[in-house]
Amino acid sequence: MTWTDEELVAKSIRGDADSFNELVLRWERPIYALAYRTIGREEDARDVCQETFLRAFRALPGFRGQAKFSSWLYRIALNLCRDWARRERRAPVVQPPEDIDLLELAAAREPSESIEDLVARKDLSRAVERAMALLPEEQRTAIVLKEYHGLTFQEIADLIGCPLSTVKTRLYQGLTVLRRELAKTEKL
Amino acid sequence: MTEKLCTYHRSDRDVTLIAYVYDDIDASTRVEFEAHLAACERCRDDIESFRDVRATLSHWYPPEPKPRSAPRQAVLRHPQWWRQMPVWAQVAAAMLVLGVSAGLANLDIRHDANGFTVRTGWSKPAAVAGSQNTTAMKDSSTVSRDELLALEQRLRAEVRQSHASTTPAVARPASADAELLRKVRSLVEESERREQRELALRMAQVITDLNAQRLADLRKIDVSLRGVQNNLGVEVLKQQQSLNYLATRVSQRQ
Repeated sequence: MTWTDEELVAKSIRGDADSFNELVLRWERPIYALAYRTIGREEDARDVCQETFLRAFRALPGFRGQAKFSSWLYRIALNLCRDWARRERRAPVVQPPEDIDLLELAAAREPSESIEDLVARKDLSRAVERAMALLPEEQRTAIVLKEYHGLTFQEIADLIGCPLSTVKTRLYQGLTVLRRELAKTEKL
Repeated sequence: MTEKLCTYHRSDRDVTLIAYVYDDIDASTRVEFEAHLAACERCRDDIESFRDVRATLSHWYPPEPKPRSAPRQAVLRHPQWWRQMPVWAQVAAAMLVLGVSAGLANLDIRHDANGFTVRTGWSKPAAVAGSQNTTAMKDSSTVSRDELLALEQRLRAEVRQSHASTTPAVARPASADAELLRKVRSLVEESERREQRELALRMAQVITDLNAQRLADLRKIDVSLRGVQNNLGVEVLKQQQSLNYLATRVSQRQ
């Protein structure tokens, strides 16, 4: 039987550690992906992911279900990402490796994918990563939450605590910058 | 090139456009905006280009987290033992280090009529004059190695005592998290093991593919070489025949 997040949260509050483990398993990847796309550093993204679940566990008794569990987790993770950026005193920077690691490339290859396709896919991913790194934090966050986590405008507005129209404006501005930057990459 | 003008009557054109692109728009606004789109090339271009951008964005995947031997403590950092030491103990320890270093260097510190002088044991004194005075000063200010060692041991004992008394106080609040931390770590480790297995399988597949490709290439090269050798053999044979013919003709003329 598959429990909903809310059911697992209720069981965790009653002291069922396995339920919380299930929540960790369920949300570990999305939270890691959110952290990575926001701060752009793999190791730090993992730390943020781990800390997110630790904080969630501590605060679980206070979780009243006024928001979705996932939104609550996203908020914790985004706050940690913000703390990270403040602590590091620098804009989040995505630092793709300079050299292509062929072994890593080969490991990432889909079974039916040629090496040329794989290199092209990696190049494209890197181009997106670089373009995203140029965005101001609030635009990047809006795009990450919309594009990669499928949140509605309203959910994003609630999560970041800003008006609905601001979320849409940030998305418009962010996509406009990305369009320009990705066009430059295509010309190279 | 003239800029295409948008005649959308509402002030929130960008907001409406983005809502349309993400298909997160109420029905009446959609109908209204689609009517506008039919006549507005600029908005149509924007929508098309934003859809292209979105398609490109879908190619960005975060890297698989690399396995690491031990979880990093950057965020979940436990207080280091020296941070739990009282300031006086830290200062005393620093002074002890300086004192021991000075002792090892056989440092000679003097204050006399010539002023304040610091000299290592390997340097000779500049002047012997007034040595009585300075010797007395030296006797009263120099610390023997035994005294330094005794001081070091006493401070170490105090630091250990201080550490022992602060550790349980720190451990108590952390103990509530310890179990969770252990579980999160074990989950992460399990995930890493899974990824390592997957990576190993993929690597094995890549190596097999590479070997197969190498063998196929070698076979091709072999076949090509044989072809070249055959061609060369035929050419050499022809040359020999030509030479034989020429030699025969020359000998016939003679």
